[in-house]
Amino acid sequence: MVSCTEFIMAYNELFSYLDEHHGEKSVVKLWCAISDNFLQNLRELVSQKGIEGMKEYWTHTLTEEGAKYSMTAAEDSFTIEMYECPSVGILRRNRHIRRYPKYCQHCDLLYRRIIEDYGFSYEIKFLDQEMGRCRLTVRKKGD
Amino acid sequence: MPKKIKLHKDFHGAFSYGLQFLCENYGEEEMVAYLVRLARTVYRPLVDTVKLRGLPALEEHLIYVFTVEGGKFEIGYEEDVLVLRVEKCPAIHHMKERNYPIAQKYCDHCRILNQEICKAAGYSSSVKYDQDEGSCVQRFWEER
Repeated sequence: MVSCTEFIMAYNELFSYLDEHHGEKSVVKLWCAISDNFLQNLRELVSQKGIEGMKEYWTHTLTEEGAKYSMTAAEDSFTIEMYECPSVGILRRNRHIRRYPKYCQHCDLLYRRIIEDYGFSYEIKFLDQEMGRCRLTVRKKGD
Repeated sequence: MPKKIKLHKDFHGAFSYGLQFLCENYGEEEMVAYLVRLARTVYRPLVDTVKLRGLPALEEHLIYVFTVEGGKFEIGYEEDVLVLRVEKCPAIHHMKERNYPIAQKYCDHCRILNQEICKAAGYSSSVKYDQDEGSCVQRFWEER
């Protein structure tokens, strides 16, 4: 059984495998499929609770993953400041694994596809992909 | 014995989805090819340890994984064969609890991964599973 403790490495290898055998488009296709078909819990939370839903989703997942981050939520905006992405940390520590060069990009596509559907803008800034630092900013679009 | 640690168990659903994606879009043979790759990359340290220390290294790995994941299992030796009896697979049960669809060939990933890890280290394995129940018996022995 691929354990949760091994998943990030397996995920990374899946991106690399697809890219090498079927091109970058196949990796993007996977990411779209995960966003559309697997992240139903996030979609429900955002559609029903908006920014509170995002806060609920990411508090749960980032806590379980052991991320170092801060989160701010206001009525019309939501920010995650990621100081140490746990996924990037795993890939850095496991030197026998070659990180997929566009690994961080999956967070842009996966969540953007959902959040932008509900009247929000979504921006992710990769501050240091090597060290796993980024900033995710969501804003309610004006009427 | 390793302590149970907090895990993001939804990763099991994501992994299962990845396997299903490979099968549906590129065929089962590509799922197999991916798993063979995993054995050679992600599990290379485990292969190296098993080459050095034999079945006890595999036993330690399995005890660690199934303990931290909260599985219900027994592990021991029947003569020279290491036998892992999983009564409650933590991955299958988590996915069922969360109503995640489970890849048709999900349990095959254990069979294929084990096979490739063992082959690389000079061992063999078998897995008999009941995916619906979330139970299986995994056996490991030295190739002579």
